[in-house]
Amino acid sequence: MSQNGNKKAFYPDYLPFVLVAALIAVEAIIASALLFPPRIGPAIDLTAPYQPKPEWYFLWIYQLLRYFPGSWAIFGTVLLPALLILSFIFMPYIDRGPRGRKKSLLVGIVLFTSLAVLTLIPVLTGR
Amino acid sequence: MQRRDFLSWLLKSAYAVLGLGCVATLPYLYRGGNEDIKTFFVKTVDEDDLPRRGVKEVEFPFRGLTHKAFIVRKNTDLFVLSPICSHLGCSVNWNFVNNEFDCPCHGGRYDMSGHVIGGPPPKPLTRLPYVIKDGFFYIGIRA
Amino acid sequence: MIRRIINLLDRWFGTKEAHRNFLARALPGKIGVSYCLGGMAFTAFLVSVLTGLLLSIYYVPSGTEAYPSIVTLHNEVWFGWGIRSIHKWSANFLIIFVALHAVRVFLHKAYRPPRELNWMAGALGFVLIMASGFTGYLLPWDQKAYWATVVGTSMAKTVPGAGGLLVRLLRGGPEVAGATLVRFYSMHVLWIPFGLMLIFWTHFHMVKRQGISGGL
Repeated sequence: MSQNGNKKAFYPDYLPFVLVAALIAVEAIIASALLFPPRIGPAIDLTAPYQPKPEWYFLWIYQLLRYFPGSWAIFGTVLLPALLILSFIFMPYIDRGPRGRKKSLLVGIVLFTSLAVLTLIPVLTGR
Repeated sequence: MQRRDFLSWLLKSAYAVLGLGCVATLPYLYRGGNEDIKTFFVKTVDEDDLPRRGVKEVEFPFRGLTHKAFIVRKNTDLFVLSPICSHLGCSVNWNFVNNEFDCPCHGGRYDMSGHVIGGPPPKPLTRLPYVIKDGFFYIGIRA
Repeated sequence: MIRRIINLLDRWFGTKEAHRNFLARALPGKIGVSYCLGGMAFTAFLVSVLTGLLLSIYYVPSGTEAYPSIVTLHNEVWFGWGIRSIHKWSANFLIIFVALHAVRVFLHKAYRPPRELNWMAGALGFVLIMASGFTGYLLPWDQKAYWATVVGTSMAKTVPGAGGLLVRLLRGGPEVAGATLVRFYSMHVLWIPFGLMLIFWTHFHMVKRQGISGGL
C-alpha cells in the first residue's frame, strides 16, 4: 500500500507529467480534427427516406430500443437506461458490507459488458 | 428565548415560501399559451391522380417544409396514412416489394392498412382526415 | 515574466497560499499514466469550451437560419471547418477520457468512503456531458440532427401518464421545431456548461481535501 511507499508532492514531482498528458490530449484532438473533419449534412427533408443514427456514445440506447415492442417500450427508453445511470452514480453505496466489492464488481462488469455489446452490435451489423 | 424561536420560525417559513415560489415557476419551462391545435386541410393532388389501387405517396408544403403522406386505396376503401411511425416518430417508407410500410429507425413494419405486423410500434399508423373539393384532394394536418 | 505575474497575483490575491495545499499535496510514490486521465478529460473539456465560444460567434440559433449559418461557417469562414471539427472531436475525446477515468477509479476502488461524494459528482458530470452531446447534436439543424432529436425526444412519450407533457417540455411544443432548437441551444451553451463547471469545482476541491487514493 501507499502508506509506507515514499510519498511525493503533486508539485514539483507530478505536475510536469500532467501537463505533458494534457498537451498530448490537445494534440490528439487537433490531429483527429484535421484528419477527419465533419461534413455538412443534407438539409431537413421530411419526405426523403432517412435512417438517423445517433453519435457512437448513444448507440447502446439506439440498439436497446429495438428489443422492447409495444407497451414494453418504456423498458428500453426510460427504465433500463435509468437503472444503468443510477447504478453507476450510486456505485459507492452498492459497495457496502463484507461482500460489497464483489457486488460492485458484478454491477460494474454487467454495466460495462452490456454497454460494450449494445454498442458493438449496430457497429458490426451496420444497421 | 421566545423571540428567538419566533425568528427561527419566520426564517423557515420564508425559505418555504421561496421554495414553493421556485416550484410554482417551473411551468414557465412548459411553453403553454394559446397554441391550440387545429386541423389544417392542405391541397395535394388532383382528384384524377388518386391511386386506383395500392399506395401513393404524396408530398405537399406546410409551414415551410415539405411533408409527405400515403393515400391508400384498398378494395373500395380510400384512406390517408400519416408516415409518422407510432414507435418513436421516424418517417416510414412504402416497400412495394413486400407490400408493407417499413420504418428505417428500429425496424417497425405495418401492412397496407397501417396495422403493425412487426417490430416495436405500439399502435397502427394514424389515419389522417381528408376532403375532396373542387376536384382536388385535401389532407388534414393537425398542428 | 511568468514568475513576475505569479508574484503580482500573489501580492493582490494571496494565490500562492490558497493553492499551496493543492500543489504541494502528497501523492503516493507509485502512480501510473492512468492517473492523468482525469486531467486529460478536463483538457478536452477546456478545448470544447474554447471552440464552442468561437463557434458561437457565427452560429445563429433559429429554425430558419441555423443551417445556413453552419454552411457559411463551414465553407466561407477562414478555418471555420477546423473549429467545428475540433469542437466535435474534443467532445469525442472528452467522453473517451471520462469513461477511462471512471474505469480507472472503479478498478482502484477509489470511489469508497471518504470519496463517495466525489464519485457521484464525477458520475453526474458524465451524465451532463452526455446531455451536452445530445443537445449539441441538434444544433446543425440538418437531416441527421432533426431525426435523431425526433427519436430522442419521442422516447419520453413512452412514460405512462406524463409522457405527453414530458415530450412537450423537451420540445417546447408538440413537434420538433425552431422552439426545440432554441431550447437545446440554451441547454448546450448555458445550462450544461455552467452545471459542469460547478461540478468540476466540487470535484477538484474534494481531490484537494482528500488527496488521491493509493490505488490497488
